[in-house]
Amino acid sequence: MDHQSTTAAGYGIYVHVPFCLRRCHYCDFNTYADRSALIPRYVAALRADIAAIADAGPSAVAPAGARAGGVWPAFDSVFIGGGTPTLLPTPDLVDVIAAVTTAFTIGPDAEITVEANPETVDVEQMRALAVAGVNRVSIGAQSFMPHVLDALGRWHEPRAPLRAVDACRAAGIQRISMDLIYGTPGETDRDWSHSVRTALDTGIGHLSAYALTVEPGTEYARRVRRGAAAAPDDDVQAERMEQVDRWAAQAGLRRYELSNWARPGDESRHNRIYWRGGDWLGVGAGAHGHWGGRRWWCVRSPERYVRAALGGTSPVAGDEVPDSGERRAERLLLGLRLAEGVDRGAVAPLDDRVVQDLAAAGLLIATDNRLTLTSAGMRLASAVTLELV
Amino acid sequence: MVLTDRIRNFAIIAHVDHGKSTLADRMLQLTGLVGDRTMRAQYLDRMDLERERGITIKAQAVRMPYRAADGTEYVLNLIDTPGHVDFSYEVSRAMNACEGAVLLVDAAQGMQAQTIANLYLAVDAGLEVIPLLNKIDLPAARPEQVAEEIAALLGGDPTDILAVSAKTGEGVPAVLERIVERVPPPVGSADDPLRALIFDSVYDSYRGVITYVRVVDGEIRPRTPVRLMATGFTGEVDDLCVISPEPLAIDRLGPGEVGYVTAAIKEVDQARVGDTITTVADPASAPLPGYREPTPMVFSGLYPVDSGDFPDLRDALEKLRLNDASFTFEPETSVALGFGFRCGFLGLLHMEIISERLDREFDIPLVTTAPNVRYEVHIEPAMRTDDEAAVIAVSNPAELPAANRIAEIREPVVDAMIVVPSDYIGPVMQLCQGRRGDLQKMEYLTPQRVELRYRLPLAEIIVDFFDRLKSQTRGYGSLDYEPAGLAAADLVKVDILLNADPVDAFSAIVHRDRAYEYGKRMVNRLRELIPRQMFDVPIQAAIGSRIIARETVKARRKDVLAKCYGGDVTRKRKLLEKQKEGKRRMKNVGAVEIPQEAFVAALSVGDDG
Repeated sequence: MDHQSTTAAGYGIYVHVPFCLRRCHYCDFNTYADRSALIPRYVAALRADIAAIADAGPSAVAPAGARAGGVWPAFDSVFIGGGTPTLLPTPDLVDVIAAVTTAFTIGPDAEITVEANPETVDVEQMRALAVAGVNRVSIGAQSFMPHVLDALGRWHEPRAPLRAVDACRAAGIQRISMDLIYGTPGETDRDWSHSVRTALDTGIGHLSAYALTVEPGTEYARRVRRGAAAAPDDDVQAERMEQVDRWAAQAGLRRYELSNWARPGDESRHNRIYWRGGDWLGVGAGAHGHWGGRRWWCVRSPERYVRAALGGTSPVAGDEVPDSGERRAERLLLGLRLAEGVDRGAVAPLDDRVVQDLAAAGLLIATDNRLTLTSAGMRLASAVTLELV
Repeated sequence: MVLTDRIRNFAIIAHVDHGKSTLADRMLQLTGLVGDRTMRAQYLDRMDLERERGITIKAQAVRMPYRAADGTEYVLNLIDTPGHVDFSYEVSRAMNACEGAVLLVDAAQGMQAQTIANLYLAVDAGLEVIPLLNKIDLPAARPEQVAEEIAALLGGDPTDILAVSAKTGEGVPAVLERIVERVPPPVGSADDPLRALIFDSVYDSYRGVITYVRVVDGEIRPRTPVRLMATGFTGEVDDLCVISPEPLAIDRLGPGEVGYVTAAIKEVDQARVGDTITTVADPASAPLPGYREPTPMVFSGLYPVDSGDFPDLRDALEKLRLNDASFTFEPETSVALGFGFRCGFLGLLHMEIISERLDREFDIPLVTTAPNVRYEVHIEPAMRTDDEAAVIAVSNPAELPAANRIAEIREPVVDAMIVVPSDYIGPVMQLCQGRRGDLQKMEYLTPQRVELRYRLPLAEIIVDFFDRLKSQTRGYGSLDYEPAGLAAADLVKVDILLNADPVDAFSAIVHRDRAYEYGKRMVNRLRELIPRQMFDVPIQAAIGSRIIARETVKARRKDVLAKCYGGDVTRKRKLLEKQKEGKRRMKNVGAVEIPQEAFVAALSVGDDG
């Protein structure tokens, strides 16, 4: 496999759906629980924006003056994320997917993922999505323990994710991923073990497990400040991270990214585009895109997005073309997250002494052409990246 | 020209906050020198810093014409004195420029140690002391008791003491009358060679140094070539002024008169407090007695937080030194802190004032190491190298020679006077004994108030002693001290090691009996302050090669962004850039990275000090 050029990383399309039934305590995503009235216009705006981007061609998203070519390549992945995409009425969601698949060339074995919250999934909907081409579903389970779900501000019934898995399979969608969160204060070792085993026992081929992070501005952060919730403990989370890696391996899932495990071949192709520095289009409120070295992002407010996209103006709020130093930092930041590591040429120049010290400390494996984090290095990825940058 | 017998020169002795500046303000108004409309609080305290802190750092002198009740015209010269223990030499020189002193005592708080010390300076200088009770309008005032305290110290009849309210002005006219009645006029001959005492000098960027003088003998006129007898500086009198209350040029200052002189003096170091001005043409045979070189007592390392600020810090220190000859600085290097300066100060307050001025006037963020004293180290003769002195002065603990090379260490000691309500004798004695104090005398000023005399190592009182004294006496205890030479002591150097590397900025010289306690406290504090690293960091306190305390900062086990997807890249990259910048500002001790704030916090003297 060639990891060196961005084209080899593939091409993706990300579509953002910024609506939720309720906001979870830890969530700092661009999503809103009080704007369902906007949904019909938002869907129309997505369709208009998708068509406009497709018509404008790659040169409109590439850096000014770059030779981007006049034709879109075939895309390897479409990802409908949120928010809660499955909160959209099924015909709307199908329409959005169809807008993408008709406006762009989607490769024959492309991955088409929809994010789902367990309580909003049913078999009928999954069947409709499967017909629309969806072949992968990512379910936000977070935990199988009621008191942990409670602490996270999740309101689904603990077994709902299992029913969601069944619904996907009944609809013929075989590629299923689950998200879990660990290190929530109040979660015991047994709780974590139960959650991971329950997820893995379903036989899913992909698992994401994230350390609970208290992001500023979230309900959880407010609770910590008030003393109503505890801050997560790094040492506990370090332990949990090792545990999930061990248990996933026992179930045949290999860690291919810092917080992601998959059966070989079942890795998220879409997310790997991000980590490998590939190109993708970002559509929707607050969505980011990257093409040929240029990054851009859309307005965060769904209302402003709707106004722009339906009014025929660009919903892009800002952009940048990172310079070579910034690109190097990005490649380190993203590439080191992957088990495959990062190409040394992409992150040159490196301080050999720093590399040697990190290797001697058991955090980094440095071969002639790649840098890869060890398991201990994964736990300290930010610190290692800071040393190397 | 003023008749000598119509001049009254006086100072006001008062504790901080006992109302000195307010009383001076009322006098300026009563003598008609400052109109009520132009009056601003604490008129004589010129510098912002003084006004804000409510203390007077630089003496000023103001000339007030005064028509007494009997119709006689007088000239009153009010010589303002600094009000802190660090500046007792400056106070003594200002006293020597006077014949009288107004002793102003807060009728609620009573005599404080510092007031008593200054009172003794006044008595030593032969001044007529006029005691006053201030703040008699306060509900907590206990004028009879405080009058008893004053009489006990000063002699005389307690009922003879005037009561005033400097705030309202009540009783102040009687004070002016008493000054002309009781303070003797100056004596001095206009025909003798000029001898003028410099009791203050202030740097002015336009006129050079302004020297405040009291003429003792002879007279001084503009354009006269003069010589400063201690520093040898010669120049020609440029401006000759009195302050009334704005500068007013005059053509002669005769015996007993007070004013200021400029003579193209570039830095205050050339016109030091206590020096004598004489004429080049007809010099005095001997200077006025009592001149002393300023001696720094307290030392501290000043390091720029950003090493790039080092040249700016040097410029700033040089500028400050232009108007403060009493602090010293010399470059030094610290493994932990980089390039900086070892600065010497008269005392802790002086150190605070300089740091604050650096901060305020020059805006250079600094790390200040814990204050220490200067030790006299006698080298073991058998260990001495040929080119080494037998006795060396050590003002940076990191520079103390190895224990086996030291025959003896002598440390500065002070005679301290502590005045406390008698209820607090116990805790104060405990505090002083804990600081290696030696009780010399205990005297009841009144049945309720006691004066304690202790000999204490200076090193023991520059760190947190005054705050402790205040907290253990609910604010009623007061302290004054004066240097009392050097004394041998069983002192050792405690080094602090991070990951086996000594951190020179944390080295301290402490008494052997206190070494363990100091070491334990520092390692505990550092364990709290040093962020976890990618490896275990042992923190050790050591005397020589012997470890006396140890703690460990456990390795960080997790430092990771849980998620990083397409929408996070720009933000996370910027965060990484910011962290990289933060890392650049970290201080490195071996492989251990310490944030600047942790250094500052570790060096600052907290409640547990």
